[in-house]
Amino acid sequence: MATTAKNLKGFYKQTKRNITGGISKSKPSSRKVTPKHAATQGSDATQPAALISHGSLDLNDAYDKEEEMLRQFDMNMAYGPCLGMTRLDRWERALRLGMNPPSEIERLLKTEKVQQDCLWQGRV
Amino acid sequence: MESMEIDSDKVQQRKQSNYSYLDERFEIQKEMYRGQQYSQIYFARLHLMRTLLYSFAPTWKPHLPVCKVLGLEEGKECIIVGTLFKHMKLKPCVLDEYSKERSVTPLVKPHNFMHPDDNLILEDESGRVKLGGSALSPAIYVTGVVVALHGKETSAGEFFVEDVLEAGLPPQIERPLDLQEDKYVLLLSGLCIGSTSSNPLQFQLLVDHITGHLGDDEEIGLASQIVHVVIAGNSVEFPRKLFTGQNLASKDQSTLYEPIKELDIMLNQIAAGVSVDIMPGLNDPANFALPQQPLNRCLFPGSAPYNTFRSCTNPHSFDVDNIRFLGTSGQNIDDLEKYSEAESKLDFVERTLRWRHLAPTAPNTLGCYPFTDRDPFLIETCPHVYFVGNQDKYDNRLLKGSEGQLVRLICIPKFCETGIAVAVNLRNLECHTISFSTQIS
Repeated sequence: MATTAKNLKGFYKQTKRNITGGISKSKPSSRKVTPKHAATQGSDATQPAALISHGSLDLNDAYDKEEEMLRQFDMNMAYGPCLGMTRLDRWERALRLGMNPPSEIERLLKTEKVQQDCLWQGRV
Repeated sequence: MESMEIDSDKVQQRKQSNYSYLDERFEIQKEMYRGQQYSQIYFARLHLMRTLLYSFAPTWKPHLPVCKVLGLEEGKECIIVGTLFKHMKLKPCVLDEYSKERSVTPLVKPHNFMHPDDNLILEDESGRVKLGGSALSPAIYVTGVVVALHGKETSAGEFFVEDVLEAGLPPQIERPLDLQEDKYVLLLSGLCIGSTSSNPLQFQLLVDHITGHLGDDEEIGLASQIVHVVIAGNSVEFPRKLFTGQNLASKDQSTLYEPIKELDIMLNQIAAGVSVDIMPGLNDPANFALPQQPLNRCLFPGSAPYNTFRSCTNPHSFDVDNIRFLGTSGQNIDDLEKYSEAESKLDFVERTLRWRHLAPTAPNTLGCYPFTDRDPFLIETCPHVYFVGNQDKYDNRLLKGSEGQLVRLICIPKFCETGIAVAVNLRNLECHTISFSTQIS
């Protein structure tokens, strides 16, 4: 899907958090301090550039810090692969296998309106 | 003076025993398929086995650090734990169809896919590393086994293995040593009713023996000591020529159903007298992927009403008088035979016990359900009797573990070919064969 000249402004309308681009490990101060045992790696893999799925631009880049926490949980290697399971099921599996996942994640998934599946569910 | 007529006081009573059904872990009714792939079951397997192996590492090599594959440093001696992957040149690959040199691939596939160039790779969630050295023989191991390795990374980027630690035999619950009398569990498999090689008279002889209709008082006395019968797979064989992909004509439908009807009649006779378990096998009308689910009770309208009749999963686990039995219909061992080698089938059986996993090649080369949170094939408690059905010949071995475990390993031969059933004595775990022949020589 080519963008014509007059659509170019709309194309660039969204602003990314990192103007410099690339992967950086800076933590914005609004992010909550994650508990020690969560062992998250703080990688930026959870901030994808505009996803192109099914031929259209995925501009739903507006996600909050709760989704950010859940994405860090998804990315954590210790709890196993995140695809093919809902986040809550993965959390419960981690609990059953004795990995002590942070209870914050469970609270978020059960009480608040968040995505129940990981980012790539249905896309890969 | 004993009278010659049948005396009602002399009617033999069958011995009684307690039975516990332990197949819940192999049932998949509660599982829901959400589009997951096999990475989940491999993760569960690795996590559970790794926790176990980490607990053994301090006693095995006390001074060595344990690290992940990504944490390997050149020259640093350490222990790594991961899942083995065997790269096999001859393993059939779905992409072979598309390869340009089609004329090179032979039309006849070998039965065993081993090759001298096979090599092993260790993988965990952080990465994989090629394994070198001669401590780990690719001929013995298969993909899916979780082991701990002691060694160091070489400059070539390989991990040179110096020593291997397998999980070893799991802990065993002490078996009761106070059984006063001989009680037998009869194991048979490969009835293949409906195939050209099965002899209905042979099976009828077996059924008559079990139900005490055969022989003199001594024979009947022996039969009364049988407390349980297990049929380990491949009980029927459907005529393959009917499976053309077309709808079956009604006369073909009734021919299709004949073997099951005959099996039901025989099971009815057995179930009327003794508790019987039937497990599905490769050729039975059950699902293909392990763990195979119990054969539907609607297939056995005559036998299903009996509470002595039980349709079980494959693999099957149960207790009789607190003696733990674990067994399969043979697919796990047959698959090991295709991808590794051993001097006898019992070596494969012993290896699965030492690796604490019933079917390590699942899901790689053996069909398996994609579990997400557990691996039901992990053997947590050592059985007292471990049987494998549908083998070519009868064999058994008494395995002694390092912590006093005692397991009887049994290869049950195909009944349609050999006419042999195996009886295991619960008192001392000894087993012997009962063979039936209908040749008139």
